[in-house]
Amino acid sequence: MIARLRADTRTLPILALIVVAFGIFAAGNATFAQAGTYAAIFSIAAIGLSLLLGNVNQISLGAAGFFGIGAYAVASLTTWWNLPAWLSWPLATLIGITGATIVGLGLGFIALRFRGHYLAMATLTFGLICAGIFHETKFLGGAIGIEDIPYPRFGALTISGYPAYWFAWILALGIALLTLNLLRGRSGRAFEAIRNDELAAEVLGVPTRRYKILAFAYSGALAGLAGAVYAAFLGIVVPDAVGPQLSFSLLLMVVLGGSGGVSGALIGAALLGFLDISGHQFENTREVVYGVLVIAVVIAAPNGAFGLIRSRFRPGHPERSAEGRVVEGQPRSSTFALPLDKLGVTSSVVEVAHVTQRFGGLVAVNDVSFTLTRGTLTSLIGPNGAGKTTLFNAISGIGRPTEGRVTIGGIDVTGRQPHRVAALGVGRTFQNARLFGEMTVLENVIAGAFRTEHTSFGADLFALPSSRRSEREATDRARDTLVRLGLEPLASTLAKDLAFGDRRRVELARATASNPWLLLVDEPAAGLNAGERATLTADLLKLRDAGMTLLLIEHDMRLVMSISERVMVLKFGTMIADGTADAVRNDPAVVAAYLGTAG
Amino acid sequence: MLQLLVAGLTVGSGYALVALGIHIILRATRIVNFAQGEFTIVGGLLALTFVQLFHVNTWFALAGATLAGFVLGLLYERLVLRPAGRSGEIPLTIATLGTVFILLYGHALVPGWGSLPQPLPAFTGDASDAITVGGVSIQVQSIWVLGLLLAALVVLYLFFERTYYGKAIRAAANNPTGAKLVGIDVTGARAVSVGLAIALAAYGGTIIGPITLVGGAGGTAIAIKGFVGAIVGGLESPLGCVAGGLLVGVVEKLIQGLPGVSYGVSDPVVYSLLLVALLLRPQGLFGARSAVRD
Repeated sequence: MIARLRADTRTLPILALIVVAFGIFAAGNATFAQAGTYAAIFSIAAIGLSLLLGNVNQISLGAAGFFGIGAYAVASLTTWWNLPAWLSWPLATLIGITGATIVGLGLGFIALRFRGHYLAMATLTFGLICAGIFHETKFLGGAIGIEDIPYPRFGALTISGYPAYWFAWILALGIALLTLNLLRGRSGRAFEAIRNDELAAEVLGVPTRRYKILAFAYSGALAGLAGAVYAAFLGIVVPDAVGPQLSFSLLLMVVLGGSGGVSGALIGAALLGFLDISGHQFENTREVVYGVLVIAVVIAAPNGAFGLIRSRFRPGHPERSAEGRVVEGQPRSSTFALPLDKLGVTSSVVEVAHVTQRFGGLVAVNDVSFTLTRGTLTSLIGPNGAGKTTLFNAISGIGRPTEGRVTIGGIDVTGRQPHRVAALGVGRTFQNARLFGEMTVLENVIAGAFRTEHTSFGADLFALPSSRRSEREATDRARDTLVRLGLEPLASTLAKDLAFGDRRRVELARATASNPWLLLVDEPAAGLNAGERATLTADLLKLRDAGMTLLLIEHDMRLVMSISERVMVLKFGTMIADGTADAVRNDPAVVAAYLGTAG
Repeated sequence: MLQLLVAGLTVGSGYALVALGIHIILRATRIVNFAQGEFTIVGGLLALTFVQLFHVNTWFALAGATLAGFVLGLLYERLVLRPAGRSGEIPLTIATLGTVFILLYGHALVPGWGSLPQPLPAFTGDASDAITVGGVSIQVQSIWVLGLLLAALVVLYLFFERTYYGKAIRAAANNPTGAKLVGIDVTGARAVSVGLAIALAAYGGTIIGPITLVGGAGGTAIAIKGFVGAIVGGLESPLGCVAGGLLVGVVEKLIQGLPGVSYGVSDPVVYSLLLVALLLRPQGLFGARSAVRD
């Protein structure tokens, strides 16, 4: 992810130079200057769409609706009110952006509850509804639209014609910079985590739905801004110009240029502007070519033009992080101290009371109750299908138990969303090690420290000191965690390239980066060799000795019996034994469950 | 009132078939085919070509267009959906949008099709023929449309419920890995599903052709209304898709029939149904709750 952002950051000055060069070249040519201005305006909206599509993996086909809100806000307000010129356009623009943001939040709230294609359809529909409203509303000019929109004026400078080129590009490049800030900050890390694995992100404490809605609203705001600039520079807005056609064009730019980050969007906007002009006498044919092009790009070059450029200059591993610095020496916080007492937890940290989980007719967990004491390591064993992972899910908020209650540190968390459970200091790993494959090991662990970070969307956007400090602290914390578990040599390896055993250790590191005081570990030893098991055993004991409460699902009996203070046995959802390792080992019911009984 | 109802059911038949096609492709590939409406338009135009080129009546043209739609669907699956599907769900969705571009602007380039809607000959008699039932005059074509919709539904039902191939396709859609393990050609089943869905689009475009004209740029609107119908009725339920599609047609005609309402208002209102449905009953009128959430 950082590698991708780096390429983006490095490309931006080059693109700025091209913009300046083209601006000088187009000085005497009104057609070129205007085409360049349009490219700048559309690239503002394309950047938002690129972030949504490439960084958060959500599709929107309604960008034109937000664009229209911005455009009509400026068109109607500036022709209606009589404010001083320097105030008129900026204020109308601000109102337009605010409107687009609010609508974006609302639409995101409705549509983001569902799978991808619901969002696609809901946004397309939204765009069509907006187009219909603009078309039918009398005071917005109906089908004719609004003409004679005053050009923005600042003192003696009127922004139209050639000056508009420079103004639009300064705005577009400024937006590009802000967006890069956002992607570099905690918000960007949340987006990247969501894109890679939404459930894993949620369990690490990322409020995934909130971040998806934020990204959606941000892309709406940018489209609104683009519309506001468009209306002022063009001087006229007609409903057909902000119809679904525009949404498709914007999507086309992002796909052609390459989604994710800002460079692809800028390149795509310029590319489509160029194609539009050079093919203007081949109407229909031009659009057919666009259609073929989009399909070809999706199949053959999914990262678009910018992806092709990147891979050209970085053969081999284009996504590999250049950040290969190996951390030396000891962790800064070598004592492994945990900030455990924020909740004032006394002895029993987890209380599971009469939890039952049914799936249709199947009772996966049947009236299970137990309490975990702080600083202990308890194992949960049982044959496959006994309901162990289901119980984990009930505790960590992934599934709401049918009956019963889960209390963590005295707080009832039954049915809370996973990120809210995580926020109380609960970490977990998954049976199939759900790492963020496209991120490096270090980035994975930084994402694990998400809930310990203190910064906001706005602080990230403007790269305020709090955002930078937060990132530094999270990075330090992540490095410490890596050092602690002896994983620092792998820091810059992409998670998807890791060996199997390392994946599990990295997941453990990620789950502990935020120093949870309850850690649910799901089959950590599965598939590990003897040496790796020994390391794992030592790691788990280290965590327990530091004061963490561990609940472990494991099939490796030797490991379980050697490190657990307490062993609980589930069979077909029912707890059949609960006691010390020795007691459980000799329990006839347990022996029967594992080996079967004669007769 | 009854007249509006029949008119609504007639256009609704087109939406119902689009909704059903979207449902079939969704089941097979897990994505929404945005081009379904454009295929409906192209299907109607193909029927027109059969009429003009071979001087056959609309019945033969219907058969021809449906068959051509099936072939078109197989090509669509092989050339667009299958290769794009390797890159994931969102790229696949974008590829269907690319197809919208190709069909929407491409059909205007075909000689004889053009960009303006054209009439398709009526199934029997004249397009304006009407009979009077209980004091209400009903277009004969409307009766044909509803009858042909019903016929298509019966055939589809028998195919999916009673034949080996139909069951195999359903198995492949439900659980590709499991289906593969019991020897079902999952790739083939997927191709046939898409073929069927596109054939259905062509069929729908043809049967409503004598009333609504064929061709033009309305494909996206048809696709969206079909999808609105599918969502309102329940995207995961074939019956819900059909009922939802018909309902959308009726709502549209009723709004257009309201006194003092401009014709252009009906579309935004119909589209809003989708957002309302998502907010209030995302599983649709006929869907089970669990079917929607991830």
